[in-house]
Amino acid sequence: MISMIQFSDVTTWIHQLLSSCMAPWLVFLIELVVAAVAAVVALLVCVIIMVYMERKVAGHMQLRHGPNRVGWHGLCQLFADIIKLLLKESFTPTRADKLLFTVAPVLSLCVSLLALAPISWGPGLVLWNTNIGVLFVTAISSMGVIGILMAGWSSNNKYALLGAMRSGAQIVSYELSAGLSIVTIVALAGTLNTGGIIESQANGWWVLKGHLPAIFAFIIYIIASTAECNRAPFDLAEAESELTAGYHTEYSGMQFGIFYLNEYINMGVVAMIASTLFLGGWQPFYLPFDFPLAHAFNDIMALKFMETWPAWISWVSLAWPLVWFFGKLFLIIFFMMWFRWTFPRLRIDQLLKLEWKYLLPLSIVNLVIVALFIVLGLHF
Amino acid sequence: MSASTIIFYILATLVVVFGALTVFSRKIFRAAISLLLSLTFIAGIYFLWNVDFIGALQIIIYVGGIVVLIIFSIFLTHHSGQSLPKAKTGKKLLSGIMAVAGLGFTTWVVSQYVFKPAPGVVPVEPSVHNIGIQMLSYSDYGYVFPFEVINILLLAALVGAIVIAIKKSQDTEE
Amino acid sequence: MKALYNYLKEVAFAFVSLANGLLLTLKYFVTPWKSIITENYPDNRDHPSVADEFAGEVILIHDENNEHKCTACTLCQMACPNNSIQIISKQVETEDGKKKKVLDQWVYHLEMCTFCKQCIDACPQDAIKMINSYELSCFDRSTLTKVLNRPGSKLKEKAKVTPKVQE
Ligand code: SF4
Ligand code: SF4
Repeated sequence: MISMIQFSDVTTWIHQLLSSCMAPWLVFLIELVVAAVAAVVALLVCVIIMVYMERKVAGHMQLRHGPNRVGWHGLCQLFADIIKLLLKESFTPTRADKLLFTVAPVLSLCVSLLALAPISWGPGLVLWNTNIGVLFVTAISSMGVIGILMAGWSSNNKYALLGAMRSGAQIVSYELSAGLSIVTIVALAGTLNTGGIIESQANGWWVLKGHLPAIFAFIIYIIASTAECNRAPFDLAEAESELTAGYHTEYSGMQFGIFYLNEYINMGVVAMIASTLFLGGWQPFYLPFDFPLAHAFNDIMALKFMETWPAWISWVSLAWPLVWFFGKLFLIIFFMMWFRWTFPRLRIDQLLKLEWKYLLPLSIVNLVIVALFIVLGLHF
Repeated sequence: MSASTIIFYILATLVVVFGALTVFSRKIFRAAISLLLSLTFIAGIYFLWNVDFIGALQIIIYVGGIVVLIIFSIFLTHHSGQSLPKAKTGKKLLSGIMAVAGLGFTTWVVSQYVFKPAPGVVPVEPSVHNIGIQMLSYSDYGYVFPFEVINILLLAALVGAIVIAIKKSQDTEE
Repeated sequence: MKALYNYLKEVAFAFVSLANGLLLTLKYFVTPWKSIITENYPDNRDHPSVADEFAGEVILIHDENNEHKCTACTLCQMACPNNSIQIISKQVETEDGKKKKVLDQWVYHLEMCTFCKQCIDACPQDAIKMINSYELSCFDRSTLTKVLNRPGSKLKEKAKVTPKVQE
């Protein structure tokens, strides 16, 4: 891709445009705000699609129609729900710790949005190009439990407290196997930078390259991250049959809405990380074979034919990596919804048994095998 | 003052304020949350200094690990919506003196030390790659020995915890 | 070794059974036109499709001669856990001068019924059944108390069984 337009060209162009008429610190500030707002808005649009998708997937998997009243096929259902939540009173119980009760949803929202920083949306399209990318996301997701614990404690309600404790135990334990499966790919790719990991998959995604450990790591990561998002079948923190609504039992109105939003943002972040690590992020599909047809296919996928086109049309190619990125994002989100509406909820002892007796030993063995591969130089 | 100096002072103030709140709050959970915020802002200072790896580890270990453990023990031992009893005046006085003395001593030590630039030492870029190599290097100034010692310590702690927590099976009891 | 083998076998079996479940829901998801069983209710009022087994309300079966089979034995009344049945009977005199108890009013309190079908099971004459009616709500709860025997209906005469001659 020599003549084609890159995201870095666009950002450089904007940067030069702003610098020509403003002081450097103002430029920096404006760029900071614009980039953050763009990322958050992109994620919120994803969340809107996800909520609609979840309802339709849930409906169809349970032999129902799903929402079909508000707008065409229920498309506007979410907006009706948001208006309802905004009109409702955000009620604080009398005996609650008012400060923490109010701060908890906001804190958990901030924490989950922080995890967006090192994510690479397209070639050169990353908010914070750091050499600890994936590690930072792991660190932030370990902070995510704090908002839940705060909500559980400050509600002064036994269900909320129990839900918070469960989710704490769950997140702390599942972080281990999620982390180990991330390390597997980090070892294969040799970098923690999200862009670097994606570029290491230019000649095939890790799950498709034929590394068995990478496939195991993918399965383990999907399971562990579903648990970290507190989603069914691991939704013990809000098990409605036993704990009413778990840690957000006492929340109403938009405060509840923020927790709800938070669940989907977490899902989005997890799906982004999974697609970055295992499915090649914004890399298009690549056939790792050596015969003419595969080469032709790969050339088409890399948009080679656009190189001869005039520059103003090749702008279109900017959208190509984004299409792949969001496509993989929604593929993984579909997996998570599929699990949620297929499997029954685990009991707390089964949940911990699954992690400590199955996922953790398997992911340690997996990591050791990968390390052996790399030391022997068998990986490619 | 450059922007990073201003940000440093903001972060430092937040660290100190939340540190003070940790000590002075009479609601135990609020104290824990203040501790958490204080530690998070310390991580912020690390990020400001571009030692990202240390910053991320600060969050993983202190915020995600230790504070969550503290909060867990609070959950198991305290009631929500309760304040701790007021401390006695003598106790207050004593701990105040101790704290001031500690602060004075540390300030004195730091002010006595002459920070001189080390000549001839090539600064290493604190990337994860370099940290990893340094951690397992057994040449001069390598960290493989402390690294392995800590490994053994943690392993011993792990085994000890399992020994304490393990349920005796029926026949060993008899 | 045996333990390790069992452990891995367990993991593999778990994956197979999970995959079975996933495939089933995937099949439902991709073929909604075949699998969806809920109705677009107010839209299809003209041609509703309600299962025959659906327990809507209790009726007393009448045949074309306006005759029912209820002998006013009150077994259904006793079987009902909610007291939603009241059998009011009266004494009539038959032509041969005998007094006989017949059904006067079969009172059904729909507002208290939980549609449990216990009355249907209790009835020895199979005189009552449940139909799959719906849209049972109304604005005045007194209309929910119904008399199920039609005016002028009477007990269906049993086909005379000729007494068997003992040999
Ligand atoms: S269906 Fe159940 S509740 Fe209703 S009348 Fe019959 S026995 Fe009573
Ligand atoms: S409906 Fe059946 S059980 Fe009820 S009184 Fe009549 S014959 Fe008896």
